[in-house]
Amino acid sequence: MSYYITLAEIESYLRKAARASGLEWGLAEEAGKAARWLAAFDLPGPETLLAHLQNLAGKDYAAFIPRCDLQPWQVDGDGPLCPIITGAALADRSAAILDGNELTLGKTAYPILLAAALGQAARFHRCAFSICWSGLRLDCFGNGLTIEGERDSLLLAEVDQVCCCRSEATTPQQLASTGAYSIAEEVFKAIDALAFETYAPATAESRAGAGAGLTDND
Amino acid sequence: MNETTDCAANNPMPEAANYRRPPEVVMRLARMGSFHQTRLSFMRALLRRLKQERWRFKRNLWAIDAQGFGRAVYTVYGPERAYSLVAFSHHLPDDMRSDRVIATAWDATFTLFDGIPDEADLDRLELNVPKQEAGRISDSELSLSRANRSVRLWQHVIDRLSAGLQPERDQLESVGYLVRTTAVYGSGKFGAADRLAISGRPELSGPFQAELLSVWLTRAFSIDLIEHIARARGGDRAVNIEPELRRRIGVGNSTGLGMAPFLVNHPALLNNWMMAREEAFARVRSLPRAEAAAIDEFKRHFERARFNVSQWHSEHPIQVEKLALLNADLEKMAAYIERESLDDDHPWDRFYRWAEDKLSLEGQEQLLSLMLEPYGALVDDLTQCMDADEHVSFFIDGSMPIAGLLEIVDSRCAWALAVDYEQPDNCARFWYTSAEKLEPRVGERFDEPGAEYELPLAIGCAIKQLHAALLAWERGSTTAEFLLAHPEHRHTVRRVQNLVSHPYAEIQDNLIAADMLPIDILRCKLSFFGATRFDPRSDRWVRICMYQDAPFPHEWLEGAP
Repeated sequence: MSYYITLAEIESYLRKAARASGLEWGLAEEAGKAARWLAAFDLPGPETLLAHLQNLAGKDYAAFIPRCDLQPWQVDGDGPLCPIITGAALADRSAAILDGNELTLGKTAYPILLAAALGQAARFHRCAFSICWSGLRLDCFGNGLTIEGERDSLLLAEVDQVCCCRSEATTPQQLASTGAYSIAEEVFKAIDALAFETYAPATAESRAGAGAGLTDND
Repeated sequence: MNETTDCAANNPMPEAANYRRPPEVVMRLARMGSFHQTRLSFMRALLRRLKQERWRFKRNLWAIDAQGFGRAVYTVYGPERAYSLVAFSHHLPDDMRSDRVIATAWDATFTLFDGIPDEADLDRLELNVPKQEAGRISDSELSLSRANRSVRLWQHVIDRLSAGLQPERDQLESVGYLVRTTAVYGSGKFGAADRLAISGRPELSGPFQAELLSVWLTRAFSIDLIEHIARARGGDRAVNIEPELRRRIGVGNSTGLGMAPFLVNHPALLNNWMMAREEAFARVRSLPRAEAAAIDEFKRHFERARFNVSQWHSEHPIQVEKLALLNADLEKMAAYIERESLDDDHPWDRFYRWAEDKLSLEGQEQLLSLMLEPYGALVDDLTQCMDADEHVSFFIDGSMPIAGLLEIVDSRCAWALAVDYEQPDNCARFWYTSAEKLEPRVGERFDEPGAEYELPLAIGCAIKQLHAALLAWERGSTTAEFLLAHPEHRHTVRRVQNLVSHPYAEIQDNLIAADMLPIDILRCKLSFFGATRFDPRSDRWVRICMYQDAPFPHEWLEGAP
């Protein structure tokens, strides 16, 4: 069974789910935006991010810090790059990419999540960025997307190499939708359960705290 | 005109900037908690637009039984689109009537439908809207809300009207509303249309226009409903409420902590609201002289404000004291108006500088609201600058050197650096989301468990921690490098960089201090909505009135065929 959730709900739930998985709030915000950005193109941002977060849980941030001084970028160790942490690092360096620098990433988990970070950067710079892996190229615009090449590569859980550069494209194939997104019930339940871990269990104080303790029948 | 930059570029009065109050004066909780509604408030902007664009109105469905239960549809028709309030009225036992967000049943429930609903839409909505948070609406709906009757007034009004008598004016005015709403959800909540889906429509691009349209129509529904019940009971003897008395009835609202984090979580939006309000005030203060007509209008509004304050009651000690100060301030203002000339020598600026010296914050902010009243032609365009593209302000400039970040913190965040957050009183609170209610709450850090669930709302403390980390870093390194090593500061760096283009984005007070009053945040936000009669029920819960004295749809708009 599936049902519809709004883009605002996707951003809110996935932000909390990312936080519950150990990401700092600032990165969790990027994760929520990434899931939302993809869902607006009817791509499985929430599902992919959930799968990635489940891999991330319990691991130390230090294991995912990309060595941005190397080409290709990689972590110290043999794990893949985290697309949320790396996506944020790419967005933070987007001015350099805009200046013509091409960046290459080594082994990367769920590269489609990187596209969302570049879409955010494109929105700010009012330009487009290209990202390629495994025979596939995405041109990421602030509010649009073009997909070319091997569509079967879109949702790969891990790839060996990703390249990233400025795009000369001016018109996206597809514009972001604002409509609700269809999600499988069990996926949503898993996201909801993760998000729920950021909520504090009730105490006598919290029960008493918010209201006035006065009658409402007046 | 989405962003402040566009608004700045199109500003017809750049010279007024010299009269703008700086963020360190404006963005203090004590002042924000003394704000009054202004002509820029969202309810007033909405009603002005409906009138200017000649919207039409029709009650398209009234299927309410003699007890007052059933469904109704109220539609407004604009130049391009129509919107309908769908109302369901239910039987609610007294013991289930609660204003708390945690309630599960209400006297009436509502949604604002995008267009005109058919029977199938209404049947779908009737299965969901009465359940509120436990139900599900769709992107055909723009809001979800509920209301309870004011028990103290409801029965009185029915008794009087059904007996052919008008309600007692004193009793009616002392409450000010027949129904009291609580949460009014919109913007993608519980399945409603996403904000981006409607923000391109001129009539809904301003903040909370869909939600406030639903509340305006809810007010009309509440009065139609009570007159209907009175007629059913009194038959031919029953009367309607006289139009003039009718106007005195608004819609109540009861709001708790859940609303407080909004202003902290939407810094670009908060900036744009504040900036518009301050710019409007600066434009008026920059006027070298005032025309007689403007002075007369100011005086009319001043007298109305005195009357409204006389009608504004609260039992909460904080507000009782503030009302006493406001009453004294109004007397001082009356003496000033009597004594001083208001026509030349920058009269409004002179008046305000006098007020800064002589009046409480309540009085100063009341004066601001009053000074804007005669100058619609000068300031009303600023309502177009009060939304925000939050996706753009989300972006971090990773190329900024550490020296640049430090410069922003040093020049714009002295308020945050001045506090010693190690002192227990300065970190006494923490904000969290309650698992039981799924609502934001404030806890006592040293008395309650749960601080590990703290939400990132302690902005001042976070800025001070960021500052310490930056000082230990190479000045020439980039923000991108810093954030790779310090992801815990990413949230705060975003906010700090945002201050350059959005100087009014941060509340410049410690939001986890022992003496912080959440009602100050609530009042600030509600004053932007256009609320009046702030009546705190505790330090974290407030009742207000909306649309009191405003026209009704059938008076303000022409009927639709």
